[in-house]
Amino acid sequence: MILDEVKEAYVRDLLAKGSRADGRQLLQYRDIKVTKGAYPNAEGSALAEIGDTKVAAGVKFDVAIPFADRQAEGVFMVNSEFPILAHPSFEPGPPNEKSVELARVVDRGIRSAGVIDLKSLFLEEAKVLGVFVDLYVLDHSGNLIDCAALAAMAALADATVPKYDSETKRLVREERTGKLPIAHKVVTCSFEKIGGKLIADANGEEEVASDGRYTIATADSKTICAVQKSGAVGFTRQEIVNMMDIALEKGEELRKLI
Amino acid sequence: MAASEEKQMIVNGKRLDGRGFNDLRPITIKAGVLKKANGSALVEWGRNKVLAGIFGPREVVPRHMTNPKRAIIQARYIMAPFSGQEEHGRSGPNRRSMEISKVSKHVFENVVLTSMFPKTMINIDMEVLQSDGGTRVAAITAASVALADAGIPMKDLVCGVSVGRINGQLVVDLDKTEDNYGESDMPLILSPRTGEVLLHQIDGKLTKEEISQAMDLSFEASKKIRELQVAALKERYESVLAEAENGNDNGGGN
Amino acid sequence: MENEKRMIVVPGEKVFNDQRRVEGGYADAKGTFATTMAMVHDDRLVPLKGYYLPKPGDFVVGIVKEETFNGYEIEMNSPYDGRLSTRETRERFQVGDVISAKVADVNEIHEPIIADPRKLGGGEVLDVESVKVPRIIGRNASMVETIKQHTKSELFVGKNGRVYVKGGNSALAIRAILKICKEAHTGGLTDRVVALLEGRE
Repeated sequence: MILDEVKEAYVRDLLAKGSRADGRQLLQYRDIKVTKGAYPNAEGSALAEIGDTKVAAGVKFDVAIPFADRQAEGVFMVNSEFPILAHPSFEPGPPNEKSVELARVVDRGIRSAGVIDLKSLFLEEAKVLGVFVDLYVLDHSGNLIDCAALAAMAALADATVPKYDSETKRLVREERTGKLPIAHKVVTCSFEKIGGKLIADANGEEEVASDGRYTIATADSKTICAVQKSGAVGFTRQEIVNMMDIALEKGEELRKLI
Repeated sequence: MAASEEKQMIVNGKRLDGRGFNDLRPITIKAGVLKKANGSALVEWGRNKVLAGIFGPREVVPRHMTNPKRAIIQARYIMAPFSGQEEHGRSGPNRRSMEISKVSKHVFENVVLTSMFPKTMINIDMEVLQSDGGTRVAAITAASVALADAGIPMKDLVCGVSVGRINGQLVVDLDKTEDNYGESDMPLILSPRTGEVLLHQIDGKLTKEEISQAMDLSFEASKKIRELQVAALKERYESVLAEAENGNDNGGGN
Repeated sequence: MENEKRMIVVPGEKVFNDQRRVEGGYADAKGTFATTMAMVHDDRLVPLKGYYLPKPGDFVVGIVKEETFNGYEIEMNSPYDGRLSTRETRERFQVGDVISAKVADVNEIHEPIIADPRKLGGGEVLDVESVKVPRIIGRNASMVETIKQHTKSELFVGKNGRVYVKGGNSALAIRAILKICKEAHTGGLTDRVVALLEGRE
């Protein structure tokens, strides 16, 4: 960990000259690999890898009680875990603020875009289908959000829905009614601002050196469905417009991987 | 275990998945699969997928747990909420996972040379990404490889397997169905070098003779598991060694 | 000549039939066993993995981790941090500074006392496993000198497995060091490293 901090000055110096330690362009992503169906016990799953960062996602369906103010809608929840094996700074315990932020940003992108038609998850009186996405960070070398968003979306695209038995009021997982209908493939694009320079897909040492982050979720080439500014540094409106253009374009490339 | 129904799990001398009574499920082991952890291993055992990661020896957190004479070991066994075939599980530790974490910790307190690193802590994290019975022995088998991958000195690599009784017959390496509908299950971890038992639990009923026989079966099956652990660790070194030796044969000399 | 086969061993594997007190070995009534991944060659046990435990007289490369009320805590690529007292030095350091130093003393619980600190600046720091250091330095420092000659880089190899590289063809120097780490258990390594440095590999 201390080594990442020592490298901060090095990273900043390089960026001031317009280059990155691993030789990438400022907006270039590391190699990306998405493997759907990585954990077949789950009804949908995926493993996403961006460079050395690895995030697993599982989708589970359960019969759930609807929220009181939305009795005719299903339930969609995203949870994120940071197991200690993923990074020396991860400690055991309930999700910390970074883990919670990650889960909520990934959730917001998918929910705002209407990826899942929650009304179609209604089963019967006081019973709806719950769609539970669990993100599991396995290896943290920067840009967890984009990696987690890819894993979550790929897992949803992989998911098949169990049959509901209205007599037993239970799900029959051995029988699937078909794939979970997905209206869009939402991806995120995260930028880090370091010494005034913007880069995409920061690795571990770049993230430590960063003054702040801006994440943009897109549903297609024209639609932005969530943004999140994180960290102390300020962004100008022009910077934000620039990042949105880049995210909309880059999003199309990322979408193809799902 | 469902005692109310007798499920037929042995047909024509074979188990439901076609295995013989003493057969292990297919197992693959890979060492060094994570970048950040000091050591890591992935064990795929039947449908089980367990990932183990190691950090340490490092400074103890919280400080008051520091032992001036040796490293303390913290073991964590957790099942991912998407790991089971049925309902969505809860996140985080529960009573079962805490108990398994504790008995796993005792295994490594035996074999790790903790007195070499006083005032430090070694974190062993075992994450079950997919489960189908026998996850604790798979997790400890993975953690053992991960510790060696990290370079933490140990007296031995450890491994083991569950043996139990289904439909009146002792079988090796119970999967989830066999564990649910069977009569008893006995996970066991051993140190092959000394022949000592380092983890031993029994759920259900077994006679003294059955336990003795079950232990023998477990020891015998573990030989194959150890071979896989050794191969996973040696793989990287041996391929580099072979490359280098081939280069020399072509006139590299010394 | 390398005529005896090199063998890779794992923890718990027997390496000698007698009881020996060697680094990386554990002896009981039945013989001596490996405690980490190691190589057995020429009746010697050479660990391939391990952690750096500081010893008096070691020259190390450290990173200033924290300022304390009477000095500094130095991170040393080891489970143990070093302590540098302000009485030992006139120089003032900041968190993040890279220093070369000497381990003056080590107390009963492995805590190293650091002396003769010298700030290193403008170069790169590379952490490798400390068990590889003898191979990187080579017999009579032959290996490290070869690297310096070919790359014209300033090289400081700490006993703690932390290497400081500055100037010259530092990228090539780092590649050579990483190659040594990866192939430390093989024979004929010197020739292959020279081939890399001369651009033949």
